[in-house]
Amino acid sequence: MKQSQRAAYNSFFYLIFAPALLLILFLTIYPISSIVYDSFFRYDFISNTREFIGLQNYSRIIGEELFQRSFTNTLIFTFVASTLEVILGVFFAFMLQRKFRGKRISSLIIIFPMIISTMVICAVWQTFFHYEIGLFNFILGKLGLSPVGWLTDQHVALFSVILVDIWQWTPFAFLIIQAGMSSIPSDIFEAAQIDGANRRQISFRITLPILSSQILLVLMLRTIDTFRLFDKVYALTGGGPANATQTLSTFIYREGFSFFNFGRASSASVLTLFVVAFLALFYVRSLLKEDN
Amino acid sequence: MYRLRKHMNTVLFALVLIVLLAITITPIYWMVNTSLKTPREVINPVPTLTPQSPTLNNYRTVFESGLWKNFSNSVVVAISATFASIILAFLASYALVRYRFPLRMNKLFLVWVLVVRILPPIVLAVPLFTVFNQIGLINTLPGLIVAFQIYTLPYSIWLIYGFLKSLPAEFEEAATIDGASPIRILFSIVAPLVRSGIIATSIFSLILAWNEFLFALLFVRSPKLLTLPVVISRYIGEYTTQWGELMAIGLFASLPILLFSNVVYKKQTEGFSMSLK
Amino acid sequence: MKRLSIVVAIALLLIPSAVFAGGAQETGVTTLTIAGRDGAYGDAMELAIASYQEANPNVEFELLKLSGSELKEQSVIELRGGTGAFDVILIDDPFLTQLQEAGWLADLDALYQEKGLSIDEDLVENMVNIGRYPYPNGKLLALPHVGNVALFAYRQDISKKYGVDKFATWTEVLEVAKKIKANEGGMTPVLFRGVQGNPIVTGFLPIYWAFGADILVDGKPAFNTPEALNALEYFLELAKYAPEGVTAYQSAQVSDALLAGTAAMAIEVWPGWIGNLENPELSNVVGKVKIAAHPGQVNQSSSMIGAWMVGIPKDSKNIDAAFDFLLHLTSAETQEAIARETGVPPTRHSVHQIADLVASYPWYPAQLDGQKTGSVRPRTNYWSEIESVFGDYLQRALVGNLTAKQALNEIQTRVAEIVE
Repeated sequence: MKQSQRAAYNSFFYLIFAPALLLILFLTIYPISSIVYDSFFRYDFISNTREFIGLQNYSRIIGEELFQRSFTNTLIFTFVASTLEVILGVFFAFMLQRKFRGKRISSLIIIFPMIISTMVICAVWQTFFHYEIGLFNFILGKLGLSPVGWLTDQHVALFSVILVDIWQWTPFAFLIIQAGMSSIPSDIFEAAQIDGANRRQISFRITLPILSSQILLVLMLRTIDTFRLFDKVYALTGGGPANATQTLSTFIYREGFSFFNFGRASSASVLTLFVVAFLALFYVRSLLKEDN
Repeated sequence: MYRLRKHMNTVLFALVLIVLLAITITPIYWMVNTSLKTPREVINPVPTLTPQSPTLNNYRTVFESGLWKNFSNSVVVAISATFASIILAFLASYALVRYRFPLRMNKLFLVWVLVVRILPPIVLAVPLFTVFNQIGLINTLPGLIVAFQIYTLPYSIWLIYGFLKSLPAEFEEAATIDGASPIRILFSIVAPLVRSGIIATSIFSLILAWNEFLFALLFVRSPKLLTLPVVISRYIGEYTTQWGELMAIGLFASLPILLFSNVVYKKQTEGFSMSLK
Repeated sequence: MKRLSIVVAIALLLIPSAVFAGGAQETGVTTLTIAGRDGAYGDAMELAIASYQEANPNVEFELLKLSGSELKEQSVIELRGGTGAFDVILIDDPFLTQLQEAGWLADLDALYQEKGLSIDEDLVENMVNIGRYPYPNGKLLALPHVGNVALFAYRQDISKKYGVDKFATWTEVLEVAKKIKANEGGMTPVLFRGVQGNPIVTGFLPIYWAFGADILVDGKPAFNTPEALNALEYFLELAKYAPEGVTAYQSAQVSDALLAGTAAMAIEVWPGWIGNLENPELSNVVGKVKIAAHPGQVNQSSSMIGAWMVGIPKDSKNIDAAFDFLLHLTSAETQEAIARETGVPPTRHSVHQIADLVASYPWYPAQLDGQKTGSVRPRTNYWSEIESVFGDYLQRALVGNLTAKQALNEIQTRVAEIVE
């Protein structure tokens, strides 16, 4: 390529890369440096006063039971929800492998949950979970069992939220795994059958390993999303009962927009960032391995 | 023996299918059911499977409360945000795939995009509020469209990058040799090749923007500018006795996207099959 | 190519509509945006709006009906942002101090002067003074709209069975609760709002104060006193006679139970929620429930005021119109109509004395008394956080995660950090 052509070629790429780059930097670098800065202050949003207090926000927050609870709740939710979603997604994808009449329609219906707005889903599930007039306790009553405080019992509440997430996002896992399965060339199956493998062997020894990268992909996507849990808790429980469903996000929200204590909200955010960085590192590693 | 096995398998299969469909449909059916009930029937301790005295009142009240405005706000913001993201992401991803920037920028940027993907948006909400306030983007729809890029842009970049990466470079090289300009190549050759991937990404991005709650809650104040998720969340309140209206709104908010589900399914599987080959 | 141009065309159509959305203002029409509460308060506001529009047809209204916590959040975010999105806001009185101190509210004294008007003496002075900064005789920054006073509700027909006509002390309350539990199957002895945060704190405070405990003394937390411990231990004991799911009880659950006749005593009711008690169409207990001031214990009972005040953000673009509306909202006619139709309590002497209203709401005398002589929660900038911490640990003690002493110690430590 000629020199001028090369220059034009280069600048073309810089040009098309720039907008996305700049926008992302603007929307992330500035805020992050801002919260790192603010985390060392006692910063009251209402009176707009700042007071330098060093690491005090951090030391206080880390020692607080509420923050620790938020942290563990987030981990529990992330781990349980994403794992179950992947397992169920794989299960259903395998179960519904075969061609059958109405496969198209069934598949459409199955992905409804992930299309509907989260707020709407929370609204419906709230009616199901209602202690007195909800559907679930009604059914339990009919079966002769005692009612469950789905959103009011501190031991159950988090799992109720997990349940809603599973309902909403298992279709996503199902979709991706199914797509992966349908792109496996059928010769592989035929060859295996000729070799005398039965259904189960085929599924576990052949299909599953081939799908492993898709499975990992789904697991990773769901982990990322469940880690950010906020909307469902806001709509279903408001963080209760007794903070049983507080998550990192709701904690930050509360400090920032209920108490307007931006200093503490910022330090909680920075702490969350560390976890995010750790997760990101983990995924980058696995992604790089994939590339190779 | 084999016959029996096969029979059992079919039964098992049918069972699983029915259970799955039932679990999926029940909440949606319940929404329709409740939305047609009178307020008194809704708080009846015995939930009824079908409305005893069906009424369209809930829908009427909801529409009279000016829901159309919120609906159109959601539509405008979701489509605009997606449109902006797709374009920016497409351009940037192409650059990342075909060009090696200095200082390992490619890798760094992609890692950073991943970090933003994982980051809970609330972390950014606090400082962004102050910035947006200073530049007058608070309480405006364009402000939301920009804020939503935090969700849609990283997502789109990541997905489109994946699609572009698996594209063989021969077509572009051939076109370059023929003397086509890079822009021409980009839009006439590359874009059509990853079309289904881009459509898949746009649909997902649309859903993401349509459902966004946090920034819509924090950045928009005037009732006229609110998006649907915020309006819905307000019905889930302290005095929630308006379940009927809530379900009516919920259905209304979901219908457009549900109607597209056919498109979603088709394009998603196409798009994902492509990327996974 | 054609596909692309269609897409571009759609985008070009959408982006301007996004930019211009929320802009169109017809000339000659003023739109007032009110950030208010939901429930009966929302109905009350709608009434006031409707009557105002009859006299002023060229004023449009946008009414936001929000939950208590969301109203607070949205108010602060808006006021801090200063975009003028709200013209009138409802403010819970404990939270008023913070807004006043930030200087975000328009000076109502000045507006009164401008119009050559003076504050109507019919408005209960104690309530008006809540709107003054510094409390109680500074500049007027908010007017009293809802005269809520926390009261104690009990089925007098049942309490008489156990020898109590009027509860003088909390000890009596506990005794009667025990007897009811033992003898009256199916009747909940005692009821309160157990949700963490504001609900449980407001329910507990009358007990707390009656036992001689205080929240802040000289600006410092006073939760680790023996009086506080007595109060909390009493509360936990009393809670044993409350229903299973009480930790999720909000005002709706409490008022529903009272109306249905399944609850004997509700230790904290607000007039705003019990408007239907004497309405035969919705209540099973017409004439049976007595609403009175709280019992005392160590201290005399002192009613807790929880007024909803109305103010005008300084950044509003329609301050004059908003002020005119405020005058209408707090006028005797409007308050009377609101009281009659929605049960939301007034803040004027005259309205408390209207015969048919007193017949429908027999607690009016107690309520007026409470407004004239009752006390407010501590005027501090940190009330939201204090209340939240207090409510968190109260609920934990309630569900049994902490003992009373542990809970109070935690509250003490945390509040000390908050106010320092």
